[in-house]
Amino acid sequence: MLVLTRKVEESITIGNHITVSILEVRGNQVKLGIKAPKDVPINRTEIFESILNENINASETPLDLDCLSKAVKNT
Amino acid sequence: MKKINTTRFGEIEIDEEKTVHFPDGLLGFPDKKNYFIMEHKKGSPFLWLQSMDSPDLAFVMVNPFLLDGDYLKALSKDEETLLKNEHDDEVLVFSLVTIPRGMIEAATANLMGPIVVESKSRNAKQVILANSGYSHRHPLIFK
Repeated sequence: MLVLTRKVEESITIGNHITVSILEVRGNQVKLGIKAPKDVPINRTEIFESILNENINASETPLDLDCLSKAVKNT
Repeated sequence: MKKINTTRFGEIEIDEEKTVHFPDGLLGFPDKKNYFIMEHKKGSPFLWLQSMDSPDLAFVMVNPFLLDGDYLKALSKDEETLLKNEHDDEVLVFSLVTIPRGMIEAATANLMGPIVVESKSRNAKQVILANSGYSHRHPLIFK
């Protein structure tokens, strides 16, 4: 991992189109400003990981889906 | 018609119009880019997203609007943009279904990370609607 030290109001540039600025530091919280093209998804890592993990869970579907259809009908 | 080998369904013939291409793959499956969509059974709310790259990879999908009639109606502008494509073509939206092992009644649908398919180009992507308030584990209860 590349480690850089920056001060408030300084920034880094990733590739040609993404800039991450340090807006504010308060205690153990850091406020970031991110400029990026609209088609670049930006997410908190824990959200990204929860979707990734849920995809893996979803790929482990039991073979018999008809049970699900029945369970859904009974609710 | 093209013949595809699958673990779950054996060898099946697929309609090329039902194939979808994920240029970036799905999160967790970045190198599986080609899938096709088929109904589980006639009249069933469930569909299959079967990988064409890996015979044993298949997801169950559901039409999310059956779970929440107001789904996607109150998104922020930024999140609305994520659902659109450059040509402003019609898109189809699906949710992946998770069925915990042995607990079919606890099945959930991922409303936070819908699958969006451009109906004309058949290009697809998974969009993360992090600020929408939708859950990635929405109970599978049809309204």
